[in-house]
Amino acid sequence: MPLELTGLTKTYNKDGSGFHLFPVDLSIETGEFFCLLGPSGCGKTTVLRLIGGFETPNSGKITLNGKDITHLPPHKRNLHTVFQRYALFPHLSIFENIAFSLRLKKVTRNEIQERVLEALRLVQIEDLKDRRTYQISGGQAQRVALARALVDQPEVLLLDEPLSALDPELRVKMREELKALCKKVGLTFIMVTHDQEEALQLSDRMAVMRDGQCLQVGTPKTIYEDPIDPFVARFIGQVNEITGDLTGETPETYALQSSLGTFRVKKNGHPLSKRLNLILRPEKMRLLRQRSQIQENLIEGSICDLTYLGSRTEYTVKVKDATFKVFEQELERLKKRKLNVGDNVYLTWRTEDAILLNTPNS
Amino acid sequence: MDSKSTTTKPIPITAMVFIGWLFLMTFLPFLIILGMSFLERTPVGTLSFHFNLNNYIRSFQYIYLKVLFKTVWIALIATLSCLAVGFPVAYHLARSKGWMKQLGLVLLFIPFWTNFILRIYGLVSLLGNHGLINQVLLHFGIIKTPIEILYTRTGVYIGLLYNYLPFLVVPIFSSLEKLDPLLREAGFDLGANRIQVFWRIVIPNIKEGVFIGSLFVFIPMLGEYVIPDLLGGAKEAFLGNVMVNQFFVMQDWPFGSAIAGLLSVLLLITLWLQTRWSRTPGLKMEGLDA
Repeated sequence: MPLELTGLTKTYNKDGSGFHLFPVDLSIETGEFFCLLGPSGCGKTTVLRLIGGFETPNSGKITLNGKDITHLPPHKRNLHTVFQRYALFPHLSIFENIAFSLRLKKVTRNEIQERVLEALRLVQIEDLKDRRTYQISGGQAQRVALARALVDQPEVLLLDEPLSALDPELRVKMREELKALCKKVGLTFIMVTHDQEEALQLSDRMAVMRDGQCLQVGTPKTIYEDPIDPFVARFIGQVNEITGDLTGETPETYALQSSLGTFRVKKNGHPLSKRLNLILRPEKMRLLRQRSQIQENLIEGSICDLTYLGSRTEYTVKVKDATFKVFEQELERLKKRKLNVGDNVYLTWRTEDAILLNTPNS
Repeated sequence: MDSKSTTTKPIPITAMVFIGWLFLMTFLPFLIILGMSFLERTPVGTLSFHFNLNNYIRSFQYIYLKVLFKTVWIALIATLSCLAVGFPVAYHLARSKGWMKQLGLVLLFIPFWTNFILRIYGLVSLLGNHGLINQVLLHFGIIKTPIEILYTRTGVYIGLLYNYLPFLVVPIFSSLEKLDPLLREAGFDLGANRIQVFWRIVIPNIKEGVFIGSLFVFIPMLGEYVIPDLLGGAKEAFLGNVMVNQFFVMQDWPFGSAIAGLLSVLLLITLWLQTRWSRTPGLKMEGLDA
C-alpha cells in the first residue's frame, strides 16, 4: 500500500482553543490525486502536516510504501510540500531554489544543471531560471515551488492550498495544469483545499473533513451524488432539505412524512434513524405549471425570484415558510413555457434523485 | 522612506522644526569644528585665523596613527565579541514565545534604565583589585593575588561588550522575527537538517540584520572615550580620549578639531561601505516586489 494513515490522532491547544483530530484512516494509491476538503479549522492542514512530518501524532501510524515514517523528521521523508505562500528562498535565484534539494544530496554539477532545467521545462518557466524571487509573479512563484518540490522525485507531493493565493482566472488555469502534471509525473499528489469546486475538478478521490473528523472518502461523483452526511451534501454543491420522520416502507422505498407532505425515497442501504433529512439537488428538481398526472413527490409553491444565467435559470420557490432552489436548463421543450415571479408552480423530482440521510444528533 | 513623494509637497512645519534643530545643533557645530581644524593655536591658547593643513599633517604622526589603529582594532574585536555573545541571545529570543520573549527583552534593557556613568562605575567596583570578583576569588583561595582586569585592555573589552550588546541584539532579533518560519520548514521539507537549515537558509536571509547590528555597535565604539578612560586607564586611550585631551587639557582646539575630523572621515567610510554592501543583490530584497 503506497501511503497509509492508520488511526492517526492529534490534540493541541492553540491560543486556548483546543483542537482534536479524531482517528483518521486513509489509504492513498500511487499516482492518485487526493484532496482533503473541508472548512477552515477542520483539521485538513493538520493531516497534511502530519504526513509532512511537521507535527507528531499522539497516536497512529503513517506508512509510505510499507516503510513506517511516523516518527521520521521531515528531512528524512521522501516527500515534499508545496506551501500555501510558496516559501521560496529569497536569497537564492530561481535556479538555486530548485537546485536546493539536489545540492544537499551532493548530486554532481552536470546532473543538477540537467535536472533543474528539466524541472523548469516541466512547469514551463525555463526563461525564469536566472531571476530572483522578487522578480516573478504569483503564478510563476507557484510553478517554481512545484518545480522545487518535484526536482528530486519524491514519492508523494503534498500541496497546502496551493492555488488560494492566485487570482481567480489564473486559479482555474492552474487547476488544469496541476491535474495534467500529476498524471505526467505519475506521483501521488495530496492537496488540501477548502474550495469544493477545486476538489471536484482535481481529485481522483477526496476526503471531506469537519471538526477533526473525516466524514467521507470517495470519488467526486460518489461524494456529490451519494453523500453519507448532510454536512457533506451541503458542503459540496447546493442543496434543498426537508426534515421529516420515517413513517413506512415498501420493499423498494421509504415514506417520509414532513410538514410539506409525505414523500417516497428509494432505499440506499444506509442505516437510518427515525428523524431524517431529505436532500434534493437544485438541478435535479423540475418545475411544473400544472399538477399534471404526477401524484407523488409534488410540492406546490410560488416563484419569488429568478435569475437567468445563460446555460441555466435559477429559480427560488417559496413553499409555506421554506424556500427551494431549482436550476433548470434552457431546453427546447421548455422554451415556450414562460415562468415569471409570482407564478404558482409545482416542484417535483424523481424518486431515485432524492437522498435520505440521518439528521445529525438524532 | 518616501522622500520622492514629499519633494513635490511643501515640507510640513513639524519637519521644518526638526530639520532646523538638526542644522543648529548638529550640522552647524560640525562645520565650526571642521573650520577650526584648519586654524592654528597661538602660544597663549587662543585661535589664530591662519588657514593651513598643519593639524592634519600632525595627526598623521606615528603616535596618533598608532592610537587610531588601536581604536579600530579594539572596536573590531569588541564588535566580534558582541556578535559571539549577542547572536545566540537574539536567536533564542526570536524563537521563544509569549511572556518569555517579553521578559527576555525587558531583561536585556533593564540596565539601560540606569545612568551610563553609574553603570561604568558599577563595573569599576566589580572589576577592581578590591572589587567583588577579586575579593570572592581571594576569599575562597582560588587565586593568591588579585587578577588585574580594571585598567587593562580586558577591562575595556568587558565595558564595551556590556554597554553595546543590546544595540547588536535588537537588529538581529528583529531580522530573525521578520524571517518567515515557513522558509525553515521548506528547508527541512527539502531535505536539510537543522545545521544545514541554519547555514543555508537562516544566515543568508538575516545577514543584513547582522551587518547593521554590527555597525550599530562598531561606529559608536570608534568614538568611545568614557569606557577606555574609566576602565582602561591611561594606557588604553582611544582616539576619542586623545581628542578630548587636546580640547580640555592641552587647550589646543584646532588640533582636537582635526582629530574629530579624522574620526568623522572614519565613520563616513564605514557608512559608505554599509550602503555599498546593502545594494549588492542578496543583501537587500524587501520592498522590491513589483
